[in-house]
Amino acid sequence: MGTIIIAIVIISGVGAFLATLLVFAERVITNYGDVEVDINKGDKKFTVRGGGSLLETLTNQKIFIPSACGGRGTCGYCKVKVLEGAGTLLPTEEPYMDAQERAEGIRLSCQIKVRNKIEIEIPGDLLTIREYSCTCEKIIDYTYDMKQFNLKLVEPTSITYTPGQYIQLLAPAYEGSPEEVYRAYSISSDPANKSGIELIVRRVPDGICTTYLFDHLKEDDTVRVNGPYGKFYLRDTNAPIIFIAGGSGIAPIKCILHHMKNTTIKRKAVFFFGVRTTKDLFLVEEMKQFEKELADFTFIPVVSQPEEGSDWHGATGRVTTVAEEFLKRMPTVSDCEGYLCGSPGMIDSAVKILADLGIPEDKHYYDKFS
Amino acid sequence: MKKSPQQDKLEALLRSSKLSACGFLGEDKRSLWEIIDADATELERLGRTREDVAARMQELTDQAVPALGDWVKVGKMFQVCVDDNRGMIPCPWPHAVRCLKRITTIHHLKTGKTVRWSDLNIHLIKEHGFFEGKGAPFRIEPKDLVDSIFAS
Repeated sequence: MGTIIIAIVIISGVGAFLATLLVFAERVITNYGDVEVDINKGDKKFTVRGGGSLLETLTNQKIFIPSACGGRGTCGYCKVKVLEGAGTLLPTEEPYMDAQERAEGIRLSCQIKVRNKIEIEIPGDLLTIREYSCTCEKIIDYTYDMKQFNLKLVEPTSITYTPGQYIQLLAPAYEGSPEEVYRAYSISSDPANKSGIELIVRRVPDGICTTYLFDHLKEDDTVRVNGPYGKFYLRDTNAPIIFIAGGSGIAPIKCILHHMKNTTIKRKAVFFFGVRTTKDLFLVEEMKQFEKELADFTFIPVVSQPEEGSDWHGATGRVTTVAEEFLKRMPTVSDCEGYLCGSPGMIDSAVKILADLGIPEDKHYYDKFS
Repeated sequence: MKKSPQQDKLEALLRSSKLSACGFLGEDKRSLWEIIDADATELERLGRTREDVAARMQELTDQAVPALGDWVKVGKMFQVCVDDNRGMIPCPWPHAVRCLKRITTIHHLKTGKTVRWSDLNIHLIKEHGFFEGKGAPFRIEPKDLVDSIFAS
């Protein structure tokens, strides 16, 4: 009996010693001490405790790099240019880098560790991105799979963005989804209202974030977003404007139309808005109102497959085909700028049509989110 | 069969909702390898290979992509619709494959049966022989799939 007790004590003692050794090793060997992070050659410098990923380190400093997967190395969005201090490219980064990016020192910020002094370059506008705590003020059902979420800003209490930009919304852990994820959504609201933002979201079957928004988020709940992001905005020219959007792609266009009204922009504009059936149409009255309020704006809703027996008398067919037929008759179409928002397939199709119509590719603007 | 740490990690990822809201294994209590083995056996019984099946699925998807979300008639027997969502979803296996969040729905005009799959389903079947676990939102029963896509 005594021998057994002694053996148990010895085994426990050895186990405890090894555990202590592991904790000690973790603290000493992986202790990188204080590490300096230098952004854009001295524009911003700070010192942090080393050991975390660069993405996590920047986020802790309220510098938000776009990322959809929450740092798991699966989306490939969180690229930054590293001038010094990141070591060699990791196997987990390789698939996301082309030859030019490798040559330029582009890295996935979620994969590299901050172990020693690190110098990075990021677009200057990312330094102005902030995190916002909001309250979900109202949820509006537009169609069976489309909702609008009105978010009131709580902290900070106001936001400034360029109409057409998007934010990243944090879907927290919820029943059946134990981890946080970020997803990008365009802002649809009137930019004159700086105390809140509106998002128009279509449900993605089995999508982590849209399942949260559609099935779990309730009015008065707290929501966290960060932003604004994106290069989809109205260029400051006098060129006539072609908007082509499908489904929730109407969101940033609506925001731009508010901006055109607020700033009395008088440019000629035509908006082709595509849906599948008449049941998928929404915001039509609001668009008709813009037709009255803007100097030269035409709204053309397009239904590709109207229900049998429906009283639809508007444009019928694929939105890109209807747009092409309309634009072919426009004598100055090659002077236009094209603003596109929708599914990747719709954007690819619209880009081809605009190019065929003689609109140069550098006059096609879109955020594909892919 | 004893599993390697990598296999354990993969199975944990497939059971979690890290990549897809309800995970890839649903309520299926079998191990990943049991699921793959059972579906491979069923596919063999049906006289098809996973490459055949994936190629046919891809063919049907490709024919409906230009319709930008509308239903189109493919051949004499199918109505097909491809619904395109923004963003990408990565393959859970440890390699760099990301698929469009695109969902193909086929309706067989004669049998009235409807089957749907994602671009990721096509990849998972072709490369990994994985039809997902029972109860997962995108689980496809090999027999239902084969009966539908090869029906004449």
